[in-house]
Amino acid sequence: MRAHRTLILSLILAAALAVPATALGKQLIIGGSTSVLPLAQKLASAYHKAFPKIPTPKVGGGQSDIGISGAATGRFDIGDSSRNPIPGVDPKGLVFTKIAQDGICVITSPQNHLQNLSQQTVVSIFTGAIRDWSQVPGAQVSGPIDLFDRDGASGTQDAFQHIFLGETLKISPSATEETSNGLEQNAVKNDPGGAGIGFVSFAYTAGVNAVGYQGVACTLPNAKSGQYGGVRNFWMVTKGAPKGEASKFINWVTKPGNTTVRSIINSSWIAIH
Amino acid sequence: MQRRSGRREDQRAERTLGALAVGLLVLIGAIVVTVFVNAWPSFSSNGLSWFGPGGDVRTQLTAMQDSTPLPGHSLEYFRAWPLIWGTLLTTVLAVALALIVSTLAAIFLTEFAPPSVRRALEPVIRLLAGVPSVVYGLIGILALAPLINQHLISNGRRESVAGVVQLNGADLTTATVILAVMITPIMVALIAGALASVPAPWREGSMALGVNRWRTIVRVSLRTARPAIVAATVLATARALGEAIMLSMVSGGSPFAANPLDGLTFLFEPVQPLAATIVRQAEGLTIAALAHTVYAMSAVLLVSAALLSFAGWAAKQPLKRYGIRA
Amino acid sequence: MEAGGLVAAPSPPVAVRPGRQSTAAWPLADRIGYWLCWATGVALCLIAVGIVVFMLVKGISYLRPALFVEHPSASLHQSQSGGFLDPIEGTLIITAIGTLIAAPTGVALAVWMSEYGRPTPLARAVESAIDVIAGVPSIVLAIFGLLVFSESFLGFLSQNAANGSVYGRSFFAAGIIMSLIALPLIVGSTREALTQIPDRVREASYALGKSRASTIRWVLLPSIRPDIASGIALGMGRIIGDTAIITILLGFTLTTQGVGHAPVLGTLRGTGSTLTSYVYYNSPAGEGNAPQKAYAAAFVLLMLVLLLNALVTRLTVGRSSNRVGLLRVLGFWRLPWTR
Repeated sequence: MRAHRTLILSLILAAALAVPATALGKQLIIGGSTSVLPLAQKLASAYHKAFPKIPTPKVGGGQSDIGISGAATGRFDIGDSSRNPIPGVDPKGLVFTKIAQDGICVITSPQNHLQNLSQQTVVSIFTGAIRDWSQVPGAQVSGPIDLFDRDGASGTQDAFQHIFLGETLKISPSATEETSNGLEQNAVKNDPGGAGIGFVSFAYTAGVNAVGYQGVACTLPNAKSGQYGGVRNFWMVTKGAPKGEASKFINWVTKPGNTTVRSIINSSWIAIH
Repeated sequence: MQRRSGRREDQRAERTLGALAVGLLVLIGAIVVTVFVNAWPSFSSNGLSWFGPGGDVRTQLTAMQDSTPLPGHSLEYFRAWPLIWGTLLTTVLAVALALIVSTLAAIFLTEFAPPSVRRALEPVIRLLAGVPSVVYGLIGILALAPLINQHLISNGRRESVAGVVQLNGADLTTATVILAVMITPIMVALIAGALASVPAPWREGSMALGVNRWRTIVRVSLRTARPAIVAATVLATARALGEAIMLSMVSGGSPFAANPLDGLTFLFEPVQPLAATIVRQAEGLTIAALAHTVYAMSAVLLVSAALLSFAGWAAKQPLKRYGIRA
Repeated sequence: MEAGGLVAAPSPPVAVRPGRQSTAAWPLADRIGYWLCWATGVALCLIAVGIVVFMLVKGISYLRPALFVEHPSASLHQSQSGGFLDPIEGTLIITAIGTLIAAPTGVALAVWMSEYGRPTPLARAVESAIDVIAGVPSIVLAIFGLLVFSESFLGFLSQNAANGSVYGRSFFAAGIIMSLIALPLIVGSTREALTQIPDRVREASYALGKSRASTIRWVLLPSIRPDIASGIALGMGRIIGDTAIITILLGFTLTTQGVGHAPVLGTLRGTGSTLTSYVYYNSPAGEGNAPQKAYAAAFVLLMLVLLLNALVTRLTVGRSSNRVGLLRVLGFWRLPWTR
């Protein structure tokens, strides 16, 4: 009798668990770049609002390299990347679809209203040649420079190095590494003495001082018009050509003339379709 | 009648419970085997020098993340010495500090404190022993680290290590102090309990012989409580070794081997213990080389925990002499 | 007897707690030791009370009743608005899952180890295994859990990606691994209590004709219910306080996000956050950058710990022979210094 009761209970439980496992409309899992993260989150909720039957895609972070390898191993349906594909380094068989463009700003503490940096100064600061604020023209704080970098898996770091430092130079290894845009922003904002300097995606410049580059202020209109030099691409990465749910989502995002998507992207990024 | 069915019931119960016990053993075995199997590639390609120094941990991890091997090395190249050194430093220093403070405080509580203080302090210590580690991390990073940064790290000190590492308040000292604060309540409670269990005739006898109170405590009580002190140390070390989240908050973000030759600045250099590194790299487990390295670090922690368990068991053996079942 | 010559008068035999004794006659080293003890003791009191007061003050100053009922707002705007309803939900769910798995398992294991325990090598191995689990850092268990729950046959416990791979992070995953860290405490507590029951109780029950299993179920276990309960409370305390497993296995989303449309199971298969990961997120080590929220959430955590401690004290206060405290279950002594 007791055995029968246990058996019936376990059957009911198994049935209850099996039902959600075969639910219709599988949820997409998207992850990777922390720069693309806020954009992907907004696109995901707009996608669900446009097609209420499709569950909202789940969006996570982890930085671009994780997104790319996650797409390759199948952990993510779509990987987000904020750096261009590197042939020979990236896993084979991946397809990169460009969805938007973004600006990278050099940021300093709100106490340090540095207006502009030339390319030479940026290179000297970030490679560690200049170590003190006294050697930086226009700086409003004194003392040693607190350099903030991103982790090796970051696409923003990759893009920053290519655009601002050129192909060969690397950021000084003594810099403190942060693992996301948000952490970098907080670190520079909260650095005691206002001695911090780092770089973030444009959407993360609230509360810190965005420094102009080569005479051009780091603002969205300047980036859109092409005057600001620090612009890079956002990609969505899939294993092979996008299929199924993933292709539906990517097609919706990259459809030319999709006004909902355009207005979302244009709020802090640069729409290209 | 009842005996027969009783025996069958007994056998069934014993078999089910025995199966549960075996299941637990299988689970532990699975944990150990999985960790070591996944860690093996990292150990085999680096050999024993996995534990040694050589290059910058950060560049090695970046190379794995970017899937670009460093020139002249394989993708799995890794030298964990800065992390191991960081773990050793924080654990040993914190436990040493906590041991001294706990012993003195325990003596105070059992011998010298007025009863009202003793009664008031017990719930406070129990509360502190139960506080989640993330709250200690919060205090450390919001109260202690800025304090150290502003008052103890001068610009001159910063400049002396500029170009090698950056100093902010999150460093060896903050990590050690907060860790010590975290493990002290448990140690105090354990040692105080042991001191109070010393048989009264022993202490009274010693004092009757003219030995003053302090010497009685040191020579009689502490020595009797020595197994308990050892056991408390083992427990505290296990906790300090495995502390991941709190240390990743307050020990500074750089896997840097703090250099004692830097003099006093050594105390303010950032460190990154093994557990904190695992937390930071946990997102990247899809990359094979990184996963193997992370599992290798977990294997090291697992072995240390097992060794400490064994040390704890060995420390409890002398207790049997006093008939204390532990 | 006349006292010829100098006979140093020994201190009178002292009771366990003598009054203030003059230390003027002691050698310097002893006096230093004495004053060091006093200094450390007072410092410890001050620091302990200081920490508690600091957390209380900071917590209360930032705590608003609205926080308990609002959902956390979107990631980038933590400092402006949003409360911690979802983290509280998450803590409760995780504690429930962990305790529901650990409690019966722990009691069963303790019963087996104390009442059956054959063959002896197996019993000793199980005892060591429990010790090992108690000592393993929770981060290692979390990494192991990630590996296990990412297997495809366990997809029903978390989420299946549209291309077939398994996400591996969910309330189920975190709850199951949490039960592992609560297990040693429950086992230790129950076992201690069982070994305290004198054999004559068992013999009397057998003499009346009851089988061993029956004795355990109807005689032994009911009599140690408070000890089992306090062990469970200790386990719950440990679950509530752990952050490492949550960070890795709960798929850090600030709000509870379910999977599929089944009412309860959908949530359990989904991701969310707990109070501890919320504190971590809002500290400078996380992205929320809202220290006030962190303090408020930490205060709530402290209150929970206090509650659990009070519960354990109430459960064990009536049982003078069976004082199962935090330390006893770890295999050490009780706290007689508080009598």
